[in-house]
Amino acid sequence: MSEQTSAFEEWKKRTEEELKKRPERKDEFLTSSGTEIKRLYTPEKIDEDYKDKLGFPGEYPYTRGVRRSMYRGRLWTMRQYAGFGSAEETNKRFRYLLDQGQTGLSVAFDLPTQIGYDSDDAMSLGEVGKVGVAIDSLEDMEILLEGISLDEVSTSMTINAPAAILLAMYIAVAEKQGVSKEKIQGTIQNDILKEYIARGTYIYPPKPSMRLITDIFAYCTENTPKFNTISISGYHIREAGSTAVQELAFTLSNAVAYVEAAIEAGLDVDKFAPRLAFFFNGHNNFFEEAAKFRAARRMWAKIMKEDFGAKNPKSHQLRFHTQVAGSTLTAQQPDNNIVRVALQALAAVLGGTQSLHTNSKDEALALPTEDSARIALRTQQIIAHETGAADTIDPLAGSYYVEALTDDLEEKAYEYMQQIKERGGAVAAVEQQYMQREIQRAAYDYQKRVEKEEEIVVGVNKFTLDEEPEPELMRVDDKFVEEQFERLKNLKAKRDYEKVNSALSDLKEAAEGTENLMPHIIEAVKCYATIGEISNTLRDVFGEY
Amino acid sequence: MDKIRVLIAKPGLDGHDRGALVISQALRDAGMEVIYTGLRQSPKQIVRAAIQEDVDAIGLSSLSGAHNVLFPEVLKQLKEADAADIIVFGGGVIPIEDVKALEEQGIKKIFTPGTPTKTVAAYIEQAVLEGRGEERGLLDKPKGLDHIGIAVKSIDAALPFYLDHLHLKVDTIVEVPSQQVKVAFLGLGNTKLELLEPLSPSSPVAKFIEKKGEGIHHIALSVTSLQERLDQLKREGVELIDETPKEGAGGYPIAFLHPKSAGGVLVELCEPEKIKGDDE
Repeated sequence: MSEQTSAFEEWKKRTEEELKKRPERKDEFLTSSGTEIKRLYTPEKIDEDYKDKLGFPGEYPYTRGVRRSMYRGRLWTMRQYAGFGSAEETNKRFRYLLDQGQTGLSVAFDLPTQIGYDSDDAMSLGEVGKVGVAIDSLEDMEILLEGISLDEVSTSMTINAPAAILLAMYIAVAEKQGVSKEKIQGTIQNDILKEYIARGTYIYPPKPSMRLITDIFAYCTENTPKFNTISISGYHIREAGSTAVQELAFTLSNAVAYVEAAIEAGLDVDKFAPRLAFFFNGHNNFFEEAAKFRAARRMWAKIMKEDFGAKNPKSHQLRFHTQVAGSTLTAQQPDNNIVRVALQALAAVLGGTQSLHTNSKDEALALPTEDSARIALRTQQIIAHETGAADTIDPLAGSYYVEALTDDLEEKAYEYMQQIKERGGAVAAVEQQYMQREIQRAAYDYQKRVEKEEEIVVGVNKFTLDEEPEPELMRVDDKFVEEQFERLKNLKAKRDYEKVNSALSDLKEAAEGTENLMPHIIEAVKCYATIGEISNTLRDVFGEY
Repeated sequence: MDKIRVLIAKPGLDGHDRGALVISQALRDAGMEVIYTGLRQSPKQIVRAAIQEDVDAIGLSSLSGAHNVLFPEVLKQLKEADAADIIVFGGGVIPIEDVKALEEQGIKKIFTPGTPTKTVAAYIEQAVLEGRGEERGLLDKPKGLDHIGIAVKSIDAALPFYLDHLHLKVDTIVEVPSQQVKVAFLGLGNTKLELLEPLSPSSPVAKFIEKKGEGIHHIALSVTSLQERLDQLKREGVELIDETPKEGAGGYPIAFLHPKSAGGVLVELCEPEKIKGDDE
């Protein structure tokens, strides 16, 4: 037996070992014709080139996936982003989604929460409860998570600038439920660089923002080992109009900046890197998208191993969440969006995503209705259970086209990353508006191509209908805003004012120094300091961007 | 004419500015001066910037659902600052019933997702020019229905119905060699019927009859400034059959628009005020 073949045998052996502990979903996987589907298909001859570029699932460089058995072992987490209006309403939607077979929560916060304003702040005018749930204090968070056992679900929170505060609230609710910090599972987005680049919910300047992030890394490494401390996101970069190559390059450049900052703060790369997670966009170009995910894994593994000397295999693994591309949804003929979403989601599955959000068809018009949110979830379930796409690992590997695309994306993204490095890294490039300008140019080019009909958007610039029926839309009832003001007022009247004040002044002092801020934020949250009060305390010290 | 100045603004806390940035660039390419406020502007800040920059129009973009509160607030503040002459338009994720309500409150126009940037630019240009009172009349509404064109195989065969039963009268019968048609005009109140008979099988009217049979062929609307109007329609993305006016059967300039852009109707625009001979 040649050395090369034995590499495959080795992999098989190790995988069998692992499966003894954690068996696959089914005893055997069959096609409709009764043929047994193998766990993994490979070239007949496994040579150095194959091992170098593709390797085996669950092994360096992870091109074929981060798990040994991938979806044969466990399907991806179906995680639908939801949240609107009051904590009570969102809690109801969460319970509905869990009842419908969703396997993880994903919390959408309203913009005041995301930018650290209380609901009654003048800046919050018109925005309270609009794009997500309004959270002002621990009290709202308790209502949001009522009846949901935090030792059973994993919760992803789309929160960046005030990520530390929301994580602190989550920890506090868990403790009240009797669930220890070590057990909670989930992700905070906590990716501030892409906020400056594409999404816009920043508060403080880049430097203190990076400090908050490394403080979270340090705290979580010790205290919440199952919580992903960051979700480094290409999603919004792509939504802002970037190309697939830019999405890859800018995301990984940001990731490099976080790793560098954490190492500089004295953290051990192999301790924090395993809790870094990624978040990509599932866009239209089917094969390019599948290739993009594969390229991202290979690039990250090499960066971590070669540039940062990480030794822990978990540090090399790029685990990611995918959301399909909201910007590809059309307001025209919204039913067509179901089809777009299905194809985008399939590409993400073929690309080996760890979790997936499928958009609802009406999201170009408003927040999804319960019906359309259900169809979106069903779309994932159909891919998982009816198509067979989850029955073998990395089914597109070895396709001349997909492998060529994977190599090409990797090469072009490296070139871009090089340019960012020359500008002094991602933080400097953000400050120079470099990535912002590159994305803006790509977005405008695309729009011009659409208008010249060089790009066809079905139902928009071709195959249009003269008359569009009016779809039924979800409306957020504004009545609750008054109730939210009321709740905030009552809270402020009943809490221990002395305690809040002293917690906030402790936090301020810590922020002026170099101490880790997490314990202070947890203290403040526990005595019901509001998100606005905590954020304003930090604004006083850090300034605003 | 002074350059049109536009302020593109992001009211509220929404950070999605792809649309705002694309529109800014498109309006610049259309020859306007555009100032973009950046994110997170309160209505007050927007109005202050608009007055300072002396803009003709403000474009508001919101994707967060806060438009129903923030857009009218901008209108209110403009009024209070005695600057209600500044035109306000908007875009973003805005449900159709909100579009109607916002337009009723005084937002000049809400552009929904998928609107070509050219259409937006042309609309703003027109609205601003109207507001300034410049070149008024350039794009006034069509003045009336000049005539309805009816394709017939033979004028002689068709006439008895109009003459004997409707008691109309033939004003003129002319031949238009460029279109290979013979035309009969029958006066009818403020308008006319135009019977069109093909003179050869390659005439556009012959092809029409071959495809659809005899019947209503086109409607003609009388307008002013035909050439400028055609240019404007082209900028707005309307497909034209004739990009420059030609002489019609009535002896005045006409041009056809493509039915594709007009819900399946062949529309003729004509300028009867410019009857050949007394051209300025």
